[in-house]
Amino acid sequence: MHPISPRPTHDLPSVAGIGLRAEHCAEFITTMPAVGFIEVHSENYFGRGGLPLQILERARRDYPLSLHGVGLSIGSADPLGAPHLARLRALIDRFEPALISDHLCWSSIGGVYANDLLPLPYTTEALAHVVARVQRVQDALGRRILLENVSSYVEYRDSSMPEWTFLAEVAARSGCGLLLDVNNIHVSAHNHGFDPQAYLDAIPRGAVCEIHLAGFITRSFDDGKILIDTHSAPVADAVWALYAQALRRFGPTPTLIEWDADLPPLATLVGEAQHADRIAREVTEEQRDACPA
Amino acid sequence: MPVLPETQAIVLGALLGRVDSSAAARLLREGRALPAARRLQIYRNNLVESLSDALEAVYPAVARLVGARYFRQLAHGYIVEHPSRAGNLHDFGSALPEHIAGQPGLVGLPYLADVAHLEWACHEVYHEADSEALAPALLAQVAPDMQLQLRLNLAPATRLLTSAYPVLRIWTANRPGADEASTTISLEEGGVHLLVARRNGEVEFRVLGDAEYVWLRALASNATLAEATAAAIGHVPDFDLGGVLSRHLSLGTFARMSAGGSP
Repeated sequence: MHPISPRPTHDLPSVAGIGLRAEHCAEFITTMPAVGFIEVHSENYFGRGGLPLQILERARRDYPLSLHGVGLSIGSADPLGAPHLARLRALIDRFEPALISDHLCWSSIGGVYANDLLPLPYTTEALAHVVARVQRVQDALGRRILLENVSSYVEYRDSSMPEWTFLAEVAARSGCGLLLDVNNIHVSAHNHGFDPQAYLDAIPRGAVCEIHLAGFITRSFDDGKILIDTHSAPVADAVWALYAQALRRFGPTPTLIEWDADLPPLATLVGEAQHADRIAREVTEEQRDACPA
Repeated sequence: MPVLPETQAIVLGALLGRVDSSAAARLLREGRALPAARRLQIYRNNLVESLSDALEAVYPAVARLVGARYFRQLAHGYIVEHPSRAGNLHDFGSALPEHIAGQPGLVGLPYLADVAHLEWACHEVYHEADSEALAPALLAQVAPDMQLQLRLNLAPATRLLTSAYPVLRIWTANRPGADEASTTISLEEGGVHLLVARRNGEVEFRVLGDAEYVWLRALASNATLAEATAAAIGHVPDFDLGGVLSRHLSLGTFARMSAGGSP
């Protein structure tokens, strides 16, 4: 067993950052906008060399970095992918990220990948499996990881506990941190009919190390509508309100604006990050007023 | 008894369209509004769309040549026959050229598989390992009579391609951002040998002569300079070794050299 150095998450400022996407890279490293940190999808940097890695190196000189994975498939019943872990470890060694995260989901079985974030059945079997795998991943990387709650459109009949209980238990038993995606809570709450506030209330205060915000779309059918987490739109008003609620519970937290499809100008993303900072300031002031020193 | 592996196999099988989705739908709760089968369909659409998008990002000229609608159909078939096998998408799509060659509906575009080979080479070269170019001065330090026994290793970010069709012209006319106005390219123009390489991070092409291609191909297969040159002279008796060698030294085609001996 390697000792895990839980590199302090206060390496990241409690201000908002943005997801850095290929289309914005050139503008980003020329204009160096005032954001708290950048986050990239780790797998996009699994290439052996070339421009993407050079640009990330340039950006890393001036910004703290969060490596956010989409392909670990932590919940899969397959063995953990050793090549995947080795490449991730090499990226960590090279870029020294402040945070490393992936999703509480599965993406593959029988060696075949959906390359999508598929929800797990929330069973005691899946819980034990994920806890053991998080520990193996943290040992292999020599670092603490964060797991993120995903948006979901289905629930399993087998599930014996709500997602928030499962997530809190994974964190408590494995020692991983949580990346709370407030938009995903809103989307899943609508799709499955639960109270998003109850979700927040079930998550232990000390476990949340990062928050994600993004935009979703609504798909309407004859027999109902469903929210889909597309990362293709501004953060919705209801999600900003839930974000403020999350900050009231968890305190100032590094927050990231994700936008992956129908990308707006870089300035729009930076504007969303600044809006997150405004909300964080308001919540801090409101709490200071409520309990004067 | 563990049920997770079975659950995941049933769900992924349904998402890939390999098995009927009713078994997967039975594992799911009926939603408040939408039925489970409809909810599963959202994941199925996401899978097909995101992987098709990934293919189109690597193969934009192929997509333009066959049209958006046919490309989606081609991509769908590819995803089922050659599913993704990693949590990253760098290697996904490597077999599309062969998949295209096996499509009866595409016999009217005999050059399409070669265009796909070219686009995959660009994708690989773009992400390949960095290397320093072999300095001509280093080669000059080797005694002239020993030089022919050297093996010159091509830089990792290089690929050699050959086609019986004018694929570079076809690709250029159909690459992203190419003029919408139609360019007429005659297949009678004949084939082309290409070196795909990287300069300052961007992918570049060099059109190669017959003997030059044979020579580089031999060096890429670890032949000595003498063996590669003999192969080139076999094609073109007046092969200009000095000229071709200095061209590729200045292009940075080589990364390393090693002494001869058996490979």
